[in-house]
Amino acid sequence: MTEGLTRAQRTLYSALGLIGFLLFWELSLRSGLLPGSLVPLPSTIPSVLWLELLDGIWFEVVRSSLSHYSVGVLLGSILGITVGMSAALLPRFNAAHAWLARLLRPIPPLAWIPFAIIWFGINPSAAAFIISIGVFWINYFASYSAVHSVGPGYEEVARAFGQQRFLARLTKVSLPAAAPGILGGLRAGLGQGWMTVVAAELFGIPGIGQRMMEASSLLATDIVVVYMLTIAALYATFDFLFMLVQRRLLRWQS
Amino acid sequence: MTASGMTSPPVLSARNVSLGFAGTSILAGVDLTLHPQEFVAIVGASGVGKSTLLRALAGLLAPRSGRVEIPAANTPDTRAWSMVFQAPRLFPWRRVRSNVELGLEGLTLTRAERRRRALEPLALVGLDELAERWPRTLSGGQQQRVGIARALAVRPRVLFMDEPFSALDAITRRRLQQELVDLRRRTEAAIVFVTHDIEEAVLLADRVMVLGGQAPDRPAGVVQTFEVPLPLDERRDHPGFAPLVQQVEASIGNH
Repeated sequence: MTEGLTRAQRTLYSALGLIGFLLFWELSLRSGLLPGSLVPLPSTIPSVLWLELLDGIWFEVVRSSLSHYSVGVLLGSILGITVGMSAALLPRFNAAHAWLARLLRPIPPLAWIPFAIIWFGINPSAAAFIISIGVFWINYFASYSAVHSVGPGYEEVARAFGQQRFLARLTKVSLPAAAPGILGGLRAGLGQGWMTVVAAELFGIPGIGQRMMEASSLLATDIVVVYMLTIAALYATFDFLFMLVQRRLLRWQS
Repeated sequence: MTASGMTSPPVLSARNVSLGFAGTSILAGVDLTLHPQEFVAIVGASGVGKSTLLRALAGLLAPRSGRVEIPAANTPDTRAWSMVFQAPRLFPWRRVRSNVELGLEGLTLTRAERRRRALEPLALVGLDELAERWPRTLSGGQQQRVGIARALAVRPRVLFMDEPFSALDAITRRRLQQELVDLRRRTEAAIVFVTHDIEEAVLLADRVMVLGGQAPDRPAGVVQTFEVPLPLDERRDHPGFAPLVQQVEASIGNH
């Protein structure tokens, strides 16, 4: 609960909490409370990051992860929104694929890794494929329920004003009315994509995940933490940028 | 209504219309003929099927039997009919002007013409200044005015109004009723107006059609039609107003 605090106070407390956590971490290691082989000293992280940047490794792995993240998220989002909206708008299509969706939905994206390797080999396409699966389902369900819950009142208005054709109803009613839900799904999908990106790279596809696995096999926990923070920063940046777009598109809401 | 309106061919004719859902009849044997610029109010107890009948007259619902005809067709820049709903039902994602343009989209108008055609009825309901606002920033009364402007923008031959003022507070309702009286003089449209408010019906209409059940377990129908021979201006204060309201009330009560 943040009521009763000014914005400045909230920022202060948040900063204090974070600094306190880092201090506790640092001191626990220095005092020997935690063994140094398990976790790195937080104070060493900036210099490790600097080295990774100097070597160009950081840019290389981030570029690589970003490329299959983008392809996977784009593919999963477009397909998820298209299929989800179609299911909500076309009752026959909805009925025809309902059981198939129920069967496939519970399978976690990572369970597709064996097939990803068989179909694509150990290469970025396999990672993009795995990322797209998780993103697909999030967007599918968000779009389906957003379009499904558009009240019949707007449809009737569209018909009363000569907009009864499918395309007109789609672009003038279903899409804008469902936009808040669809955009919510897209945003959740952006997050889900980052969760799968690392796992999808663990089996040898170049990227952040592979770099983390290499580092952990050498017990270089400081490098592991650098890339954990990198993922956090990338996710936060994407989420922030998307939120700006979302806010702009939904400025008609209160 | 004007004398010329009576001699012109009807803009709407309904013959022996029956309505129902899933095996049950709710309305049967409804006839209605509407001439240009005529104003008919449909009244009746809640649930009698007033709004359903209105939708059938507009073609939004198919009648079980009977025929509804609106002889006028859409022209390149007008529509044969339009509707004002009980709740304004503006699209919240469109600005006020864009909401009013909805019915104009798909007609052969340029963007500039559409814009001009939307601003005209907005000025008529006194909201042209708010054309670029989002609907959520408007009061309930203002939103309903936009709903009326949206319906007028297509210059309909028949305007259907489904309890348009029922969700508004008493003061706003009274103001909008007066605006509708003024508006009638400036629009060519014939109006079919559904309301549960008998005073409102007698205040606004040339004719008041009472729907009611003819017998228990039988579909409802038109039980009586009243002509309103009172001058449109200051009708509320006319000595004939209250007795006519009572007559309509009695007619609903008896059925």
